[in-house]
Amino acid sequence: MTMPVRTAQYGFAERWLPRLVLAPSFVLTLVFLYGFIVWNGYLSFTTSRMLPNYEWAGLAQYITLFDNERWWVAVRNLVIFAVLFIGGAMGIGVVLAILLDQKIRFEGAIRTIYLYPMALSFIVTGTAWKWILNPGLGIEKLMHDWGFTQFTFDWLVNSEMSIYTVVLAGLWQSSGFVMALFLAGLRGVDDSIIKAAQIDGASLPRIYWKIVLPALRPVVFSTLMVLSHIAIKSFDLIMALTGGGPGYSSDLPATFMYSMAFTRGQMGVGAASAMMMLMAVAAIVVPYLYSELRKDGNG
Amino acid sequence: MGALAIKNVTKTFGDTQILKGINIDIESGEFLILVGPSGCGKSTLMNIIAGLESPTTGEVCIADRAVTNVAPKDRDIAMVFQSYALYPTMTVRQNIAFGLETRGIAKAEQNEIIARVAKMLQMDHLLERKPAALSGGQRQRVAMGRALARNPKLFLFDEPLSNLDAKLRVEMRVEIKQLHQRLKTTIVYVTHDQIEAMTLGDKIAVMKDGVIQQFGRPQDIYENPANLFVASFIGSPSMNFIPCHLIEHDGELGVSLQGMASPYFISLAGRPNLRARLGEKITLGIRPEQLDVAEAQSSALECKVKITEPTGPDTMVYTEVNGVEVIARVHPRLVPPTGQSIKLVLDMKKVVLFDPVTESRI
Ligand SMILES: Nc1ncnc2c1ncn2[C@@H]1O[C@H](COP(=O)(O)OP(=O)(O)OP(=O)(O)O)[C@@H](O)[C@H]1O
Ligand SMILES: [Mg+2]
Repeated sequence: MTMPVRTAQYGFAERWLPRLVLAPSFVLTLVFLYGFIVWNGYLSFTTSRMLPNYEWAGLAQYITLFDNERWWVAVRNLVIFAVLFIGGAMGIGVVLAILLDQKIRFEGAIRTIYLYPMALSFIVTGTAWKWILNPGLGIEKLMHDWGFTQFTFDWLVNSEMSIYTVVLAGLWQSSGFVMALFLAGLRGVDDSIIKAAQIDGASLPRIYWKIVLPALRPVVFSTLMVLSHIAIKSFDLIMALTGGGPGYSSDLPATFMYSMAFTRGQMGVGAASAMMMLMAVAAIVVPYLYSELRKDGNG
Repeated sequence: MGALAIKNVTKTFGDTQILKGINIDIESGEFLILVGPSGCGKSTLMNIIAGLESPTTGEVCIADRAVTNVAPKDRDIAMVFQSYALYPTMTVRQNIAFGLETRGIAKAEQNEIIARVAKMLQMDHLLERKPAALSGGQRQRVAMGRALARNPKLFLFDEPLSNLDAKLRVEMRVEIKQLHQRLKTTIVYVTHDQIEAMTLGDKIAVMKDGVIQQFGRPQDIYENPANLFVASFIGSPSMNFIPCHLIEHDGELGVSLQGMASPYFISLAGRPNLRARLGEKITLGIRPEQLDVAEAQSSALECKVKITEPTGPDTMVYTEVNGVEVIARVHPRLVPPTGQSIKLVLDMKKVVLFDPVTESRI
């Protein structure tokens, strides 16, 4: 007689406990993430300036945004940064991973050294590189002190080149991470596949290019996802390294949004630019999620 | 013509010597089996033959050419791996074509070769599939096809069947044997399965701890094992090893076997090198099929049937002699019920003797 009762109680707890535990974080996410996204979306259609207001303005803020030259600089910078950062981090990371995969000595130590920058926040990275690249303090000064007085390296203060210093610091920070991801993937590849390819007469680059890397497609994919994420939401690195300057030459959409919404009293334009960024992220993530979820559904 | 010669090859990883002076010499067209327990260095030796590892000392010759410092691709070999090692993102066709492509063989000829190999291994219908969509047996076939496509001087097989189920293993074994008889290419084949070793090999090298224990033809190794290890490793069920004392009885050297009744003396007269061991311990080795049920009258070794294990054609009878388990392989009709006694006679011509201390053959 007692058995069914106990089963029922157990069943009740089993059914409701996970939901209860998840509920607070679910509510918080709903309000503070999706709620604020919706709010921001609404603000982008209002005349908000210093403070939010709810006077409908239609697409006026978007028109202002698209007329703003600074926005287009930020977008152009994002394209440059994203392409060089993602491409560079992938390239460097893969090459490092392949080199480390050749059963070299002190691998553990080397791996830690390369991975270490990832442990720093972008603020620290940005500040450190600001000093390194500062013509009066860093590399240029060092070369001058050594007697190479012709040497100039002024990217940080050159509005043509400042965005490339951001790329440089970003690569320094993230390449080791990509390397770690790929190294884990490479370790998963059966050794005898490489041996078979050696006997087949393929050179090492060809083995990796034709056989090993194609087998690591999932790693390539998730690494791309992570890197594009980092690229689009890059904010702290810019703030610490160049502050968007000189002028607004190294602005990215995230820093643009921040200065519009919070320092220049253009909340509506800021909200509109935030929506543009959201759409850019969605354009990448949604197809990815869709394909992943569909795979789960089938499998 | 020498197809493969391995001369004094040693291999050391760190401080441990894995191969301790290997010497093997086989003729063109021969099927060499490397057999031994796990970890004895078979794969290491194979990798050295393939050039994937270099020997610490010693020399490897393939087709009468010293290749110790030649890259794997220039050794004119093909290898089939235990894990098949198919290229996972390529179709079967591309898997086979890859090696041909790197060797700069023209597209038309590639297709010709692929068609020939696919026909030979009956895998035409698999050519456009990826390895993930193949069964274990089919992957095995593709791996062999990839090796065959190149028509090398020497085939290397590293435990190619160990991931297959029992039935498929038997089928593939026969197929490999047929293939060898047709192509007459020299093959080196690693296994830890003694049945594969016996059935496939022209020559067997039995390895243990990086040393070749015995090298010879399967039947020789079966009948004249060089030591206790080889005797116990080759043959299934394993050879029986009965501990005895060498005694003298009526002027004849021999040993006494204790079943369930009175001791039974068997004469070892006429065997050389025994006299000096009088009174010492020796190990008598006899295979299960060399024990037979005695005719009604003759004197025999009487022992108790502990377990019977019918296999169909024969029945394995488990008994006890001199305190150790002894298995006899007898005709099912002659098997008494469990618990009763059975009278056994030994085929004295086949009995082998070992020194229990050095474990080598007397
Ligand atoms: N690269 C290596 N570094 C250190 N030790 C190794 C290396 N490769 C193999 N060994 C050791 O050498 C010994 C023999 O290995 P090997 O792979 O040749 O065995 P095997 O006879 O093929 O065994 P199995 O039947 O399990 O495949 C093992 O003890 C192994 O740990
Ligand atoms: Mg092995």
